[in-house]
Amino acid sequence: MIMGIQQFLTSSGIQMQTLEFWLEQEWLIPEQTASGMRFSETDVARAHLIQSLKVDFGVNDEGIDVALHLIDQLHGIRRALAQVHEEMRGGSV
Amino acid sequence: MASNPYDVLGVPSSASAADIQKAYRKLAKKLHPDLNPGNKTAEEKFKEVAAAYDVLGDAEKRKRFDNGEIDSSGTEQPQHRFYRDFAGAEEGHSYTSSAGFADYTDEDDAFAELLRRSRYARANRRGEDLHYRLAIEFVESITGADKRVTLPDGGTLDVKIPPGLVDGQVLRLKSKGAPGAGKGGAGDALIEVEVLPDRRFTRDGDNIFLELPISLSEAVLGGQVRVPTPTGDVTMSVPKGSNTGTTLRLRGKGAPRRGGGSGDELVKLKIILPKSPDPELEAFVANWGNGKNFNPREGNAS
Repeated sequence: MIMGIQQFLTSSGIQMQTLEFWLEQEWLIPEQTASGMRFSETDVARAHLIQSLKVDFGVNDEGIDVALHLIDQLHGIRRALAQVHEEMRGGSV
Repeated sequence: MASNPYDVLGVPSSASAADIQKAYRKLAKKLHPDLNPGNKTAEEKFKEVAAAYDVLGDAEKRKRFDNGEIDSSGTEQPQHRFYRDFAGAEEGHSYTSSAGFADYTDEDDAFAELLRRSRYARANRRGEDLHYRLAIEFVESITGADKRVTLPDGGTLDVKIPPGLVDGQVLRLKSKGAPGAGKGGAGDALIEVEVLPDRRFTRDGDNIFLELPISLSEAVLGGQVRVPTPTGDVTMSVPKGSNTGTTLRLRGKGAPRRGGGSGDELVKLKIILPKSPDPELEAFVANWGNGKNFNPREGNAS
């Protein structure tokens, strides 16, 4: 489901100011269309993750920056691993 | 039957609020699904821990639990879907980064070959995201603009700059990246926009600052002056007796806010004397008694 800015704020439970800060930090990079920003469910889930890090874990802004960077890499590695796995299983090796 | 929240968190019932929070964070780090994307059993345990903390982390609820007024069941928060469910999705999404293993694909062995093939030759693979940079004028960042980026391959990309864009903001253009393979869609274009410094304007949040030179006559007597704003010149009244450093506010002439409305333009006045000494002015000041008696440094601590 794709949503506009107001719906995103409601779904993720954050304030406009918070969103602006997150965009500035590039923690969220929503899709840009002619009629404004468009958010996906991935963005909502990522917003919940950022909130958890901040509120539940007490991570400060610099820490969140580092954590997101590492999590993004982790998922990159997981995906590559999954692809290699599939190649080995189904393929010519 | 829900288990005792003290047991779940592994703290005695006499534990302080700080101890409970510490115990929760320690467990949550090990169990939070987004911090343990490969641990399938983590999610159930994490929910249990989160529910326990929901009771014990709140002084009021904890008291009620201790008094037997509530039990630890039914307190589970409505669960949102975790980020890992999306980040691991087949169709891919653009936050994931290959920075953690890109070096392995440079090697010259069978594993690297496998990794390369899986990255680049896989069926139904989503296209890569492509990164570009674009520099725009300050005024364009305030008013918004339509820009065209020329790509390295000679193609072009039309980019709509939203009004109020800040320096360094990244715009995502869906499906404008590298084409995918098979059923995989194209990647996105990510455009980092640099706002070039402006000779006149600077920006702080939603507000815009401008230093405006005024003449001595305008400062002493007041008057109407033309003031540049990003959306064109406007007329502003300079009140009688204005000074260097006096700051006037033009409401709504700042940067548009994303939620609607706009910031203000703050105009800081700066008195500029005529370029060449003016005999008439000199003669007047020489005979101006009150001017000599006034000491602007008086009562100034520095």
